[in-house]
Amino acid sequence: MVKRQHWPIHLALGIISALMLVPFYWVLKTSLTGENIFVYPPAILPQDPNPFYFVDVWYAIPFLRYLINSVIVSVIVVVANVFFNAMAGYALTRDFPGKAATIMLFLSCMMIPFQVTIIPAYLITAKLGLLNSYFGMALPLMSTIVCIFVFKAAFEAIPKSLVEAARIDGVPDWMIVFRIIMPLTKPAIATNIILAFIWSWNSFLWPLVVVRDVDMQTLPLGLSRFLSVVEDTTGALYAFCVMVLVPGLVIFLLAQKEFITGLTSGATKG
Amino acid sequence: MAAGTASAPALDQRRRPPAKTPFFARRRTRDLTLIWLFLLPSLVIFALYRIIPLGWNVLLSLEFWSPYKPARFAGLYHYQEMLFYDDAFWKVFWNTIIFMASAPVGIALALGVALLVNTRVPGRGVYRTIVFMSYPVMTVAVGIIWQWLYNEKVGLINYALISLGVINRGIPFLQDFDLALPAVILASIWQVIGFYMIILLTGLQSIPPNLYEAASIDGASAAQSFWRITLPLIRPSLFLCFVVGIINSFTAFDLIFVMTGGGPGHATDLLVTYIYSSAFKLSKFDYAAAMTVANFLLFLGLAFVANRLAGGEAGAIKRGA
Repeated sequence: MVKRQHWPIHLALGIISALMLVPFYWVLKTSLTGENIFVYPPAILPQDPNPFYFVDVWYAIPFLRYLINSVIVSVIVVVANVFFNAMAGYALTRDFPGKAATIMLFLSCMMIPFQVTIIPAYLITAKLGLLNSYFGMALPLMSTIVCIFVFKAAFEAIPKSLVEAARIDGVPDWMIVFRIIMPLTKPAIATNIILAFIWSWNSFLWPLVVVRDVDMQTLPLGLSRFLSVVEDTTGALYAFCVMVLVPGLVIFLLAQKEFITGLTSGATKG
Repeated sequence: MAAGTASAPALDQRRRPPAKTPFFARRRTRDLTLIWLFLLPSLVIFALYRIIPLGWNVLLSLEFWSPYKPARFAGLYHYQEMLFYDDAFWKVFWNTIIFMASAPVGIALALGVALLVNTRVPGRGVYRTIVFMSYPVMTVAVGIIWQWLYNEKVGLINYALISLGVINRGIPFLQDFDLALPAVILASIWQVIGFYMIILLTGLQSIPPNLYEAASIDGASAAQSFWRITLPLIRPSLFLCFVVGIINSFTAFDLIFVMTGGGPGHATDLLVTYIYSSAFKLSKFDYAAAMTVANFLLFLGLAFVANRLAGGEAGAIKRGA
């Protein structure tokens, strides 16, 4: 077969990559130099970069508070997801009356976007007395259907004989799950952790509805609130933006494979 | 116990006398209890946050309800108001349709990128990562970045357009009644295009390469193999992308809330943002519930159509939670 020329493809992909990266670059540049709206044209390269705005924003907002809130909610969500999804995924590999109906139920729940449940979800959370709490913020995200099916597929790939052998030896079911099966499904667990983390880390609408107290705000809430307080030409806003973007991006780049696997398995297997 | 039933009874009979069968039955009930216990947390969460809300929404939309008054039956009052008396609803409804209809544009772009990445060029993994990188980023931050790019005086986009000689004065994109919605849509496409690309790549990689070889032996041109082989075979992926695009009109809430707040006027309000402001800013929970029902029906209808066109099992995907 004729070897095709590579450079036109590289050129096209290079331009596309540049277009995708420019917004990131622009916000990073602004965070390092600020922006003087009376200077035209805007400088393309950062001139006189300095960390002033990062220091500025550190003292202007309770960044640490937001960060801790975000971390607490995400940790609750991730831990709950791994346990609940693994349990449900395992249950779905067994035979029991009502199994088909349960799977149907899960699949139809998938077709209910969370956004269309927001009003009753708010009222329910209020009835449960969970407004303004970490648990209230985490609760709706604590089990994810896509991830249940990721676990189910992983469990089904484990040889049945192994489980049967353990059961005949009298190992209790909960121990079978946590001591034999889970260690063999590390990729599924990794996928679960990364998906649950990114979803809860980025989640905005739900905390916006549930949280009234400034002390309980997570990073996205803090960011949007800061935007409404300061002029959008302030370098501090973009410094804050960069500080919020970096953790998510780093974690995504480290666990890219698991993230993509999770998304596509959810997308293709349903 | 499906696989177990084949071998386990035989073992039981060999090991124990028949008198032991009550133990086996007890074990079965214990198993069932455990299975349901395992399912319970997820079922409770989905009941509380998916199923009950869906019913409650319908109920709420048929009532006069506010947090401090007892509910009264309203019949279709809110639906009448929505359909016949609220001009904003129709504006917002069409905005949502336009937003959804923009999905194919993003999908077409993503297909181009996916075809390029799917070639055997060295370093394609890097390109894939870069294109996909905007998807997992916090949408609130994306909104802030883009409203900065659109800035009238120092925004990069205005600067680029002026430098290229397309315009001679900065345009306040997000304050312009006609341009605000396309501007928001562009930002949204920028964020989601990587996800489309990943879905399409999965589809492209599942096409057996020998199909292309056979086609080229038969003298098919590249364009012919694209239209006759590639497109038909990635049809499920394409429609899956479309469903993602529809769902994107819900998740775009974050973006719109940050970039424009729905303004100017209702120029960038989608149903989801309008519902939010009706319920949580104006406390019209009952009316917002009626619009939520409309929004959900619109979504279900489109997802159903997409699923039928894709030929079955493709509609199940969800972004966010």
